[in-house]
Amino acid sequence: MNESAPKKIRRELLRHILLFSAAVVMLYPLLWMIASSLKPDELIFSDPMALPKSFDLSNYVEGWTALRVSFTTFYKNSFIIAIFAVIGNLMACSITAYAFARLEFRFKRIWFALMLGTLMLPYHVTLVPQYVLFLKIGWVNSFLPLIIPKFLAVDAFFVFLMVQFFRGIPREIDEAAIMDGCGPWRIYWKIMLPLSTPVMATAAIFSFIWTYDDFLGPLIYLNDMRSYTVPLALRAFIDSSGGESLYGELFAMSALSLLPVFIVFLAFQRLIIRGVALGALKR
Amino acid sequence: MPSTLAARLAKEWRQSGPGYMFLLPWLVGFFGLTLGPTLASLYLSFTDYDLLTSPSWAGLDNYEYAFTRDRRLGNALEVTFTYVLFSVPLKLAVALLLAMVLDRSVRGVAFYRATYYLPSLLGASVAIAVLWRQIFGAEGLFNQLLLVLFGWQGPAWVTHPDYALSTLVVLAIWQFGSPMIIFLAGLRQIPQDLYEAASMDGASGWRQFWRITLPLLAPVIFFNLVLQTIEGFKAFTQAFIVSGGTGGPIDSTLFYSLYLYEEAFANFRMGYASALAWLLLVIIAIFTAIAFWSSKYWVYYEDEAR
Repeated sequence: MNESAPKKIRRELLRHILLFSAAVVMLYPLLWMIASSLKPDELIFSDPMALPKSFDLSNYVEGWTALRVSFTTFYKNSFIIAIFAVIGNLMACSITAYAFARLEFRFKRIWFALMLGTLMLPYHVTLVPQYVLFLKIGWVNSFLPLIIPKFLAVDAFFVFLMVQFFRGIPREIDEAAIMDGCGPWRIYWKIMLPLSTPVMATAAIFSFIWTYDDFLGPLIYLNDMRSYTVPLALRAFIDSSGGESLYGELFAMSALSLLPVFIVFLAFQRLIIRGVALGALKR
Repeated sequence: MPSTLAARLAKEWRQSGPGYMFLLPWLVGFFGLTLGPTLASLYLSFTDYDLLTSPSWAGLDNYEYAFTRDRRLGNALEVTFTYVLFSVPLKLAVALLLAMVLDRSVRGVAFYRATYYLPSLLGASVAIAVLWRQIFGAEGLFNQLLLVLFGWQGPAWVTHPDYALSTLVVLAIWQFGSPMIIFLAGLRQIPQDLYEAASMDGASGWRQFWRITLPLLAPVIFFNLVLQTIEGFKAFTQAFIVSGGTGGPIDSTLFYSLYLYEEAFANFRMGYASALAWLLLVIIAIFTAIAFWSSKYWVYYEDEAR
């Protein structure tokens, strides 16, 4: 392009100013929350813009045990549920995806269409009957309603993602394995899974984050505070502080609750961003 | 003849058996947790059901109540439509703008991409809703900024019925990261020589945007629009936390999902909640159908371009 040099520099500069100010706007609320969590309550409002003067961790210490049950339990609960959900999703969705991508069976097209159809179904429709079902079999107030469905491949999105990936693996590989006498189990276990680490990792990351952040599920199924997850505990925190008198502690625990997601994000940023662009994830 | 039947079954099993073995977990989930509950929900929507006594048939009562007498439902629909109508276009516009600025090789692209995406990833969490409640509170960060910059004391945004919903719209816009990533992927697929040819012909940047970028990006815009709208209809956590679980002040943030939750799990009107779920399903289906129908007129896929 035949732009003059000063004009080009001006454009570049403008672009950077725009990008940088957008970045500040995006990060400012989060940084402010962290800064506030390090201040004594009275300074959060009297001096909202300032950086904390000292590195005061007392909000974290007090917040951790401010509820009847300590956050150790909440984190433990959250992690148990999230980890089982990840395992369940990976196992069940990959087996389902393998069947759809590679095996032949009667009515396959119909089943596949139904599977895709469940992607569109809003969660509201199954919410009440699922609750009634889990209530009837006595699973309410346990982790089972939050974990067992994941072992039944209910997250069609991951199935879809894995089908797409498996289809990209050359068929010659499994044909050669069939020649050598491998059955479908061995092909799935020894060939498909090892070749699918990128899509498995993406599914694992999103499944962890979504389960960890889930609020509605635990809200409905967990009634006893000892079984609360971190999001439920934060909500109980707002209620127990009668609106908001324990701001510092509330912020400290909020900031801390974001930490696992944040760590996963830092570690797997590229995979996450590629995952969004690929399957066009949401949330 | 039993022997041929057995032979047929054996053959059928050889052909389809392994497939169904692999499909078994999904089949159980599909019938037990998706199809079964969907049909049950349709049935319940014609009943009165309080969880304690068994459902009693009510015919069309739930639907009649919803359509003619339920003022809170009308309100919830209005709130939800307003939210979708404002948050989705604004979010997509911001996402597209920043994707375009980021598209050319810029120093630190990876940093910016990650920074803009982060709020989308954290957005669904209770912590962010807690933070929002504070930022737009009476003495919150936003008002402090207004005071410092303009010397103006703003209202308590989250607890004022006129403004509470807009704070949630702002929260939604803040999470423009995932549509932005999808736009970026779409922009990368537009051939650069189109722009070069256009600027040779003297087309201005603005003209290039309207004549090249927008038309070629239409499929991606369509995808983001449908996805974000459906997400908008389903929004729950933000409204629940910001309004303290009530949809208040005076129902100004009573999202559809929130109202449904309240009817089902606070008022134990499981039948009515099921009717609400089916109404939402129909609303989303109608919206999706309109989007797909209208897309014929404004979305051009490259493979059918000529």
